[in-house]
Amino acid sequence: MTLTRAKISWRTIVSRMGLFSLIWWVLTNGAGSSWWIGVPAVLLAVAVSIALVPPAPWVWSELLRFVPFFLLRSLIGGVDVAWRAFHPGVPIAPDLCIYPMRLPPGLPQVFMVNTVSLLPGTLSVGLDQSVLKVHVLDSRKDFLAELEAVEQSVARIFGASLEVSEGRE
Amino acid sequence: MIPSDYLSVALLIAGAIFFLAGTLGLLRFPDVYTRLHALTKADNVGLGLIVMGLVVQAESWAAVGKLLLIWVLVLLAGASVAHLVARGALQRGIRLWKR
Repeated sequence: MTLTRAKISWRTIVSRMGLFSLIWWVLTNGAGSSWWIGVPAVLLAVAVSIALVPPAPWVWSELLRFVPFFLLRSLIGGVDVAWRAFHPGVPIAPDLCIYPMRLPPGLPQVFMVNTVSLLPGTLSVGLDQSVLKVHVLDSRKDFLAELEAVEQSVARIFGASLEVSEGRE
Repeated sequence: MIPSDYLSVALLIAGAIFFLAGTLGLLRFPDVYTRLHALTKADNVGLGLIVMGLVVQAESWAAVGKLLLIWVLVLLAGASVAHLVARGALQRGIRLWKR
């Protein structure tokens, strides 16, 4: 706990205040008088968010690079599943696959779990001690390359290096 | 109609097609896992397109922000809930359909 406390920097507080202020501004259509409630609400939100989500060392440039990658892949994911739903023969060949993650536990892993569910043909169905269970819609496709690409991007966002795990092929 | 209206119409119709696909997948796919695929991914793209169609018509930047916020929150909720439903199904021993 003391370790986490020590890492809270002004940068974290200021950036979260900025984010929550922006959300408040959006929600209230920029009504000036609403800030009487907005300022306490923003400060409270910053406090709660720091207690619940400890500051993570985001690499902002990588996060920005991830956005177009994610949008494009999730669009492809939608088109892919829509095509299979409309197709008379329902061309699917589902399977369950085990993917040992090399990302550090915590936020990076949660980020990956959620991303995987929105990408083409993959749905995360379980996470147990860094081992991700993925349901794939079409096991004939190269979903492993997709998972690895996502893992690499997430690692770059969090500035984490992927540990080389043994017995991995 | 002005050009931006045509763009809105195109985006909204495309979005509706994805929602239709999501629902069709829900009805046609064989088990809970494959149905979740259809719901999360198709509806996420469908909502994204509908949000874009409405952003074109938005009257203020705050309205644009609100629409994008809705999409991001639905995205997060959709991905988390899909994961939880799938995990629950697996823990209860619901077998997955295989061809």
